[in-house]
Amino acid sequence: MQELREVLLNTLLAAGLYATMSYGLAVIYGVMRIINLAHAGLMMLAAYVTFALYTRYEMDPFLSLVVVIPLFFLLGVLLHRFVVRRLPRTTGTPTMQSLLLLFGVWLVLQNLAYALWTGDTQSILTPYTLKSVTLLGVRVGVPNLLVFGVSALSLLALNFVLKRTYLGRAIRAVTQNRDAALLSGIDADRLSAITFGAGTAFAAIAGTSLSTLYAFTPDFGRSFLLKAFCIIVLGGMESFTGVAAGALVLAFLENALAAWTPIPTSFQDAISFTLLVLVLVAVPQGLPGIARKVARWRASS
Amino acid sequence: MTPAPVSRRTLPWLLFAAAGLVLLLAPRFLDRGSLNDVWNVAFGVILACSWNILGGFAGQVSIGYSAFIGIGAYTTVLLALKGVDPYLTLPLSALLAAVFAVLIGLPAFRLRGPYFTIVTIGVSEAVRVFASGVSFTGGSSGLRMPAGSFDFSVNYASMVALALAVIALTAALSRSPFGAALGAIRQDIDAAEALGIDSTRFKLGAHAISAALVAVAGSLYAINFQYVAPGSVFDFRLSLSIVLMPIIGGVGTLAGPVLGAVIFSYLQIKLLTIPALRDSYLFIYGGLLILVMLFEPKGIVGLWNRLAASVRRSPGGSDAR
Repeated sequence: MQELREVLLNTLLAAGLYATMSYGLAVIYGVMRIINLAHAGLMMLAAYVTFALYTRYEMDPFLSLVVVIPLFFLLGVLLHRFVVRRLPRTTGTPTMQSLLLLFGVWLVLQNLAYALWTGDTQSILTPYTLKSVTLLGVRVGVPNLLVFGVSALSLLALNFVLKRTYLGRAIRAVTQNRDAALLSGIDADRLSAITFGAGTAFAAIAGTSLSTLYAFTPDFGRSFLLKAFCIIVLGGMESFTGVAAGALVLAFLENALAAWTPIPTSFQDAISFTLLVLVLVAVPQGLPGIARKVARWRASS
Repeated sequence: MTPAPVSRRTLPWLLFAAAGLVLLLAPRFLDRGSLNDVWNVAFGVILACSWNILGGFAGQVSIGYSAFIGIGAYTTVLLALKGVDPYLTLPLSALLAAVFAVLIGLPAFRLRGPYFTIVTIGVSEAVRVFASGVSFTGGSSGLRMPAGSFDFSVNYASMVALALAVIALTAALSRSPFGAALGAIRQDIDAAEALGIDSTRFKLGAHAISAALVAVAGSLYAINFQYVAPGSVFDFRLSLSIVLMPIIGGVGTLAGPVLGAVIFSYLQIKLLTIPALRDSYLFIYGGLLILVMLFEPKGIVGLWNRLAASVRRSPGGSDAR
């Protein structure tokens, strides 16, 4: 019972971070049909910026989000303006060209981090990094709780923007039916720029959060990129509730396998990958696909 | 123009044979340092041309080829530690890599385009994690070949011969029905399927062939360095350079990967000796990738063709033919 409670709580906490990480990828994919491989590099860079703000100005990592979010939004817009926008327009499926282009951006970001901060492993140690509290009879690290809080807030904000503003409606419209949305007069270029900025900002929130939990190097972020990719595939690529569900499933699998099976934690990263392959092969539509199948099966029986 | 003594089809082959002969005889007149450079270029050519069979001809971009180098290198080292002659392990390396390529390909080739690419990143990551976690790979400290009589000239000759063979093979493949099928898959997989091409089988075939060739190169790599570790042979950066070489040169062309490998290997050798640039090679790789993707996705070969076409069109330019 205690163990179950532990697994469930840890799942929830991890899922918040995973969802934040994945929305940045999902929103860019939805609007622009681009798989942003630079996402990993942006998360890594945000971790380093947080680190720099902490060591240089003693700014609390969570407080530094006030600087990091606008900074990375701007970076995303500039990246779109000077690099991504030059790609030929795509409709439908993402192109190899865009994937490899953003792969190049990722490498440049990595080298930037090597040049500025060397390849040494860094970590952020705040007074509360090692503190923990007891919640529902489970000991939980304070940073994990704070990260969950940040994730919850940013997801609420995203939900508000998507549901209640013109911008959000435009993003959802382009995601659902690109041609129809563009025909009804949405400024695709401006929307793409904002989307890329927002996706980058979400990568930065995830990166700052990760920096309070893990040590990092310029090579940081690859396994998290794979996790995020696994989640959006699981969530059905375009569905926003699907992404949240995907994050919960992956987080639960990781925690459950760590708690109840003898699989060493060093193989944990392989879980998301295995799940990714299984999902892509068995249910390419992800969780929404399964939900539809179940609904059809119940209707027919 | 006087009639050529050899036809246009045999001339490239003659040039190729002559260049091959010179390279194979190079140990007679080149010093060890230059031979090392040639060895590196040959290694790069094998990787780039083999990758090009799947990534270029069939258009299935994989960023996970270091797994095959690792499989080849480990097969050789592990068997050598059991007392088998290293060069006798090459066929087994090729076979194991081909089997692994098919096993990975069975699920992965159900995916198209970028989705396939992402899965290959996952595969290489999983293989690396697995290889550093299990004990028979020597963990992070790696394994050393048994001390024996290592002969660089044999290794050099094998590597150069394999590179030449791979170039010849890709040239032959590109003109074969197999190559035509791969080209059809690249251009329009649905149309290819409609014409009766079993795309999965052809993709699996291309994957297996290229994986086997890369694994043999990996074996020769292990023999040359007498040492193998998960951090070196399963490195993501190795996967990366395998992709970059053909992309810089020209994906899907015959000359592209060779050109890319020569430029890339040469750059790498030169860069590694300049301390100031040693730490900025990712800038260069990433920058090249960005430039190629934005301005000429067909790489140097594409650029060359474009230049040649504009020279031919302009009235001042003399016709090449």
